[in-house]
Amino acid sequence: MNSKIRNDIKELVLEQVISQETASKIETYYESKENDSPNKLFTVFAVLGSILVGLGIILILAHNWDHFSRSIKTFFAFLPLVIAQVVVGYSILKNKSATWKESSGVFLFFAVGSSMALVSQIYNIPGELSSYLLTWVLLCLPLVYLLKSNALAILHIAFSTYYACEYGYFYNSVMGTPWLFVLLIVSILPYYFTLLKIKASSNIVSIFNWLLPLCVIIVLGAFVDDNEFLGFLMYVVLFGVFYNLGMLPYFKNEKLRRNGYLVLGSLGTIFMLILTSFKWFWQDRFNDAVPFNSQEFYISAVLFLSALGILTYGYLKNQHKKVNLFQLVFIIFSILFFLNSIINAFPVIIINLLILVLGVVAIKIGASKLHFGVLNYGLLIISLLIVCRFFDTNMSFVVRGLLFVVVGVGFFFVNYLMLKKQKSIKSFK
Amino acid sequence: MKTIHLFIIFLIVVVAQLFIPTQMILNQESVLKYGTIYKFKTQPMDPSDPFKGKYINLNYEIDTFKTPDSSWQRNETIYVYIETDSLGYSKIDQISRTILDDNKNDYFLAKAGWYSKFDHKLNIKIPFNRFYMEETKAYDAEVVTNRPQNTTDSLLTTYALVYVKEGEAVLNDVLVDGMSIKDFVERESEKH
Repeated sequence: MNSKIRNDIKELVLEQVISQETASKIETYYESKENDSPNKLFTVFAVLGSILVGLGIILILAHNWDHFSRSIKTFFAFLPLVIAQVVVGYSILKNKSATWKESSGVFLFFAVGSSMALVSQIYNIPGELSSYLLTWVLLCLPLVYLLKSNALAILHIAFSTYYACEYGYFYNSVMGTPWLFVLLIVSILPYYFTLLKIKASSNIVSIFNWLLPLCVIIVLGAFVDDNEFLGFLMYVVLFGVFYNLGMLPYFKNEKLRRNGYLVLGSLGTIFMLILTSFKWFWQDRFNDAVPFNSQEFYISAVLFLSALGILTYGYLKNQHKKVNLFQLVFIIFSILFFLNSIINAFPVIIINLLILVLGVVAIKIGASKLHFGVLNYGLLIISLLIVCRFFDTNMSFVVRGLLFVVVGVGFFFVNYLMLKKQKSIKSFK
Repeated sequence: MKTIHLFIIFLIVVVAQLFIPTQMILNQESVLKYGTIYKFKTQPMDPSDPFKGKYINLNYEIDTFKTPDSSWQRNETIYVYIETDSLGYSKIDQISRTILDDNKNDYFLAKAGWYSKFDHKLNIKIPFNRFYMEETKAYDAEVVTNRPQNTTDSLLTTYALVYVKEGEAVLNDVLVDGMSIKDFVERESEKH
């Protein structure tokens, strides 16, 4: 049992808040709970150990031992694979603990990769790194479900991202669109949904809440083919999807550190808006007609409909029927994006106003929730806007200087007000 | 799901995991056993792969082909028909988008690179361009094969031994001065 809880119980007994009997009941409860749950730390170390051993084997084999004959090398290509398969088979058959399953699964994951790598090496088989990664990930996908292994699910997502980047960004001849990445991510979703249902409050769910959106953000750029301009729209709408997901009743009441969708959605939205708040961004594209018959447009459309669907669903499920401006940014931006070819300069003004209002909205949310982080985030948005306008407006230095002073004072003032409010609430309680 | 069902599914996964590398080996072995051997003049360079280790990249002399057809797209599949020249090295006889029934020469599959309208040459990406070596030898291999020899003051003849069978090609060894590049590098590093 945690020593902090033990000390607290002692103190509560001394202060006569709880009786000795209740104290011993609490202690027995915690002890029984500890016995039920597997040793998480041990699992983490076992998984780390397996990752290191697996990677070590890959590196040792990558040395390429010249003095061994082709058949001995082939034997060594299969040896780790077969050992790992036997251990995993044993863990499944004997229904061993999570530690066994996680660590043997991870070991098998790397053994599969090393055996394929070694065979390619022995026979000088040509082939792109991306196709090798794809085969590897696909061969290990069923293990995630068979072993119910979180570590394997994380490896699956990480290596799928690696594959998509290799195929979409770094492919050394002609870059392609890694459509199979969509399939790889969809194939892991049932596992993620089960975790959300069964282990909603566990740490592993938080990891997935961050990892999944992060990987999609990294890879989305690989889906941009020739129309880079539409790529910006794709990203804004994607951040709209994430923000609205984070605002669904299921995630909304979670702490911010557990809600990767909301944080990444919000940060991404602001980043994209700041980027597109410069005049040059729109000016260069004034004469470009939007290419409707392009993969970028179709992807944007699918993302837009998803974001709209999630927004509507969230609105209907929300008791207060309230929507904040962050949730609507993707709609406003999409309209501006297509209006650009009609009215130039118009989008720039609206986007600047939008950023300003979003800053105020964030300050308001922070103040109402007494959350210093969100409050200062709002102030930061406004400051960023001012800093950016510093570069492309002809305002006099005096006015710019005054603006900075006002925002600086605003930072102190708003934080001070909030601190006061927090104190008064505490003393009232 | 019952343990036994899980185990049966796992066995299927095991078979798939064993099947892929085995299939890779059998394909290569079949070409090595039944294919025809060819020599391709080449020049090595040494890069590395994060999972598979160090290899030398082989730049072949026959990586371009003069053709008036400028409609080749990048990454288009090419059937490269080869024959042997008077010195015993391979040269390209013909390239095509499809299998040619009237050409009885051996062929392998490659990808099209860029087409140069200036000299009407198509660049060909030859697939068997990686030769894996022990990590300490790959860089030395590049150095020694590119170093002019004292006696003749010309570059050594380096060629790849490749087995070709029905479109498939397997790179078996790289020879320098008639000796396997692995042994050649060893001999050279002992000398210096």
